[in-house]
Amino acid sequence: MAGTIRAQYPISIRVVLVPCSGRIGADMVMRSFGRGADGVMIIG
Amino acid sequence: MLEANRHPNIEILSYAEIVEVDGYIGNFRAKVKKNSRFVSETKCTGCGACTEVCPIFIPNYFDEGLSARKCIDIAFAQAVPAIYDINRETCVECFACVDSCEEDAIDFSIQDEYVDLEIGTIIVATGWDLYEGPDYGYGTYDNVINQIQLERILAPNGPTYGHLKRPSDGKRPTKILFINCVGSRDVKKNAWCSVICCNLSLKNSKLIKSEYPDSEIVCTYIDMRCAGKDYEEYYRRSREAGTVFLKGLVGDIQEDPLTKNLTVQFEPVGTDTVVTMEVHMVILSSASLPSKGTVEIARVINMEKSSDGFLKEYHARLDPISTKTMGIYIAGSAQGQKEIDKAVSQARGAASAASIPMGRGKHTMELIRATPIDERCAKCYMCIEICPYNAISVNETGHLEVDIIKCRGCGSCAAICPSMAIELTYFRDDQYMALLDELLPMEE
Repeated sequence: MAGTIRAQYPISIRVVLVPCSGRIGADMVMRSFGRGADGVMIIG
Repeated sequence: MLEANRHPNIEILSYAEIVEVDGYIGNFRAKVKKNSRFVSETKCTGCGACTEVCPIFIPNYFDEGLSARKCIDIAFAQAVPAIYDINRETCVECFACVDSCEEDAIDFSIQDEYVDLEIGTIIVATGWDLYEGPDYGYGTYDNVINQIQLERILAPNGPTYGHLKRPSDGKRPTKILFINCVGSRDVKKNAWCSVICCNLSLKNSKLIKSEYPDSEIVCTYIDMRCAGKDYEEYYRRSREAGTVFLKGLVGDIQEDPLTKNLTVQFEPVGTDTVVTMEVHMVILSSASLPSKGTVEIARVINMEKSSDGFLKEYHARLDPISTKTMGIYIAGSAQGQKEIDKAVSQARGAASAASIPMGRGKHTMELIRATPIDERCAKCYMCIEICPYNAISVNETGHLEVDIIKCRGCGSCAAICPSMAIELTYFRDDQYMALLDELLPMEE
């Protein structure tokens, strides 16, 4: 969304596309934290 | 309705119900149970000779129980098709009707018939029912009736031929109270606003006033909801005609056992006084509920319902006509109570929506689908429970099977599976892990 409105956001934000928030499992979130992410946002 | 029945491409299956629906868009299979009227649909000419000789009277459903029909009778004068039916529970089997019928149309041996239909799309428009709770003495006091009963009384083809008469003594009531919001906007009964009742009070009170100008009519309300084209102007004309609108909730209604008049206790909002009114008749503007037919069809077709019990639309704002199942559309009050013009608009929308895939002759969709991994499946079947589209089932060999048409690729099954035994094509776990590893590199 930020891209489509041509807003700028820092490269520290990584985007992972899911077909539906129901697809997100705890293992994906924990792996992100385990690999150094400071936060995980589930949007949509 | 007559034109619809005559149209070569339209087949009306009346006195029937849907008992089973299976399949998917373009290829639905429906099983319809045609209940037996014990009257032949092809032979009955609708002449009514049988009704004349029938000795049994039963309450007339169409007149809301205010008049009687015979055991063999037609649903209402304008029924399409004009075929008489026998209410078997009350029939004493005197067979006077059989003797009277010149077409030999009455046959007590006719059984219920089952018809299998192959259909491409489905539109559900099963309507609404009126709330009939015991509020304000409804069901106990003779002269407390609801708006539909009032409509039948005022109708020229109704139980009183359109003359305003009250149930207890058949006399004309001159002091009438309308109570709005009965059973609506109440978290203990029905939380929602039923949309049509405020305007229904305007219409019926204005009708009574124009026929009987000496009537004294009071209408109590919580809010007068006259939104939409022309309704506010109608509210003004109703007040100019002399109906008194008072804001507040009616407290208590007592019936005078001799006169059957009703004594009403009411506190107008903003005053500190309790007003006591004696009226001849009370009309309840009761809540609109999803009809019994809606509840039943939702069970048969496995349709989602909103928290208020009405059928759930695909998107409350952007698509109130489709449902979560492709090829099934909804229209009218079954989706939520609405005014006539809105119901008509929605019906036309549903017809257009249904005709698009049928006109194209094919339906295109993305094949992002769930695929089970049999070796990992522990057969907990949590995926089957969580699937909102009932797309997962167990086949004869005990393995999971995903219906690729019903599956919409939401991924709930893949997320909940504790054994990672079901995944979405193009969105698999190992693909996501590889992506996360790349996005969040760590020094090894």
